[in-house]
Amino acid sequence: MSEAGARDWGIVKGEIMTETIIKTENLHKTYTSGAVKTHALRGVSLEIPRGSFTCIVGPSGHGKSTLMHLIGGLDRPSDGTVHIDGTELSGLGNRELAAVRAKRIGFVFQFFNLLQSLTAQENVEVAMMLAGVPEKDQAERARALLAQVGLAEKCAARPSELSGGQQQRVAIARALANSPDILLMDEPTGNLDSAAEAEVLELLFSLHRQGKTIVIVTHNNDIARQAQQVIRVSDGVISD
Amino acid sequence: MNSAKLVVRNITRRRGRFIFTLAGIAIGIASFVTFLSLGGSLKNEIKREATALGANLVVIPKSACVYEQVSILTGEQLAATITMEEVAKIRAINGLAAVPCLTEKTAINNRPVPVMGVLPADMQRFKGWEIGAGSYFGSPDEPGAVIGAVTARQFGLQPGSTVTVRGERLPVKGVLKESGGKDDLTIFLPLAVAQKLFKSGNLVSFVAVKVDDLAKVDGYITKIKETVSLGVVSDQQMLKSVLSIVGTVNVTLQLIAAVSVLAAAFGIINTMLTATYERKREIGILQALGARNSTIFTLFLMESAGYGVLGGIAGVVGGLMFSAFAAPYIGQNAFTAFVKGSDVAGIFDVKVMAGSILFSAIVAILAGVYPAWRAARLSPVEAISYE
Ligand SMILES: Nc1ncnc2c1ncn2[C@@H]1O[C@H](COP(=O)(O)OP(=O)(O)O)[C@@H](O)[C@H]1O
Ligand SMILES: [Mg+2]
Repeated sequence: MSEAGARDWGIVKGEIMTETIIKTENLHKTYTSGAVKTHALRGVSLEIPRGSFTCIVGPSGHGKSTLMHLIGGLDRPSDGTVHIDGTELSGLGNRELAAVRAKRIGFVFQFFNLLQSLTAQENVEVAMMLAGVPEKDQAERARALLAQVGLAEKCAARPSELSGGQQQRVAIARALANSPDILLMDEPTGNLDSAAEAEVLELLFSLHRQGKTIVIVTHNNDIARQAQQVIRVSDGVISD
Repeated sequence: MNSAKLVVRNITRRRGRFIFTLAGIAIGIASFVTFLSLGGSLKNEIKREATALGANLVVIPKSACVYEQVSILTGEQLAATITMEEVAKIRAINGLAAVPCLTEKTAINNRPVPVMGVLPADMQRFKGWEIGAGSYFGSPDEPGAVIGAVTARQFGLQPGSTVTVRGERLPVKGVLKESGGKDDLTIFLPLAVAQKLFKSGNLVSFVAVKVDDLAKVDGYITKIKETVSLGVVSDQQMLKSVLSIVGTVNVTLQLIAAVSVLAAAFGIINTMLTATYERKREIGILQALGARNSTIFTLFLMESAGYGVLGGIAGVVGGLMFSAFAAPYIGQNAFTAFVKGSDVAGIFDVKVMAGSILFSAIVAILAGVYPAWRAARLSPVEAISYE
């Protein structure tokens, strides 16, 4: 049992949230590589309320990452629709989709999230640059975000000088750069030891308390147990 | 953070590859600029020498081919085969001035210097020489030397000092005023003195002829050919045939230049393709952060352009250093002998420098299009899933 499991993360279960911020309808995704077709998703419909803490769980290779990518506008479904905050993503062109990723969604992946040639602070600034924030407004906010994730001292550090947990916290600070409502995390603690994992989770729950909608893919049952909503993906569909 | 900063961070992240790619571009651009400016100055210099020669016609051995004509323009050594009797017959023709010249070579401090034997009074009249320092030859067979301005400066020769030609110490009588032609590089001796020193008996290398009436030049050619059994070539013909050789040299130089630039371009393509491959994952991260395809394309193209600009600057600096240190030595060759002094300074021209850097940037941008397109074409998921 990990240390994290013993903690109460302060998620207010049972709080009634009615407004839907993420909605998918009958999502299908088929990957074709050569003659091989992989049906990664076969009809996923879900709704995620604004401000909620949602866990996506399920065995490896069953379509969790694919689902995250479709929700975040990183890829387009073979069939079905994704609505983000009332916007239907399939109706958007590539540029508008990029703008959704820049401003309304923050991504954190399992590993190698950071641009290796940049410092922690610059990694955060890049996200602002891509969203069109003027250079003069970037530094102060980037430092504040790094302070928020407990890395005020590490602004000038390169990714190679940071521990795995610190790198993930930089990635979270960067995901927050443009104040998105939604944070999508694909196994953000999958590569960390339990102490580092606890730190990262603490951070996520505090972000949740600040009103962010958090969707996290995880294998950690303790997190799943405390989440407001758990979505089980199995073989490309939602089970239960 | 801004795009330029991001590009600089990326371009310098692999020091070794950065430096070697840059060196490739710098060498390509340096040779391009050097070869082009060499070719250009070659042409100008030949035209100037033809003017400086001051002759409308040149009498040369019948067997002489275009290479001998080049030698006359460059002041290269030319075998002495024309007798003084033949010279006298030409000089006897009415309506022209003819001066015999013996071209030889000596060495000062192990550097080759052209020597020319001339009839002092006739040559001075023919060329309209002015004396810069000291005096001119007093008599037609006075043992002494009159030196071209550049050679005098280069070896510290002045009136009163001595110059050793073929083991013979000769007093320096005077130094000619600088003319810009090859006369500036030559040591002049009275013909009789030169013939004795170089043991060429009563022979000379060629006879320079100036006619009174340019309209009758063809008539004079016929007349000379009737009088002596020698070849006659007009300065215009000579210029034409020499320039045609230079043209061939120019094409060769341009080809080498083009190949070196092409090699540099492939170096950039190679480096940038490697970079797209290496940074596949980072491209995916940028896309997840909201980078558009056009942003990725621009970032990679800027990186290529950066190579072009930096390589261009390094190339210009390298080219300047090459011109300054190496150009004096390539002046030993018959063709590059034209490239002397001031014309190599062509590369010091600010316009040429700016143009070279711009050219380098354009080549680099063109070379960067394919790698940048490859990078921009990556699908985010493909890039993200790459480890
Ligand atoms: N880019 C891709 N091309 C081809 N097949 C893919 C691609 N991405 C994922 N898949 C396949 O789709 C299925 C679901 O993968 P994924 O969504 O990554 O699962 P999970 O995140 O649950 O481990 C797997 O069989 C995987 O091999
Ligand atoms: Mg996955």
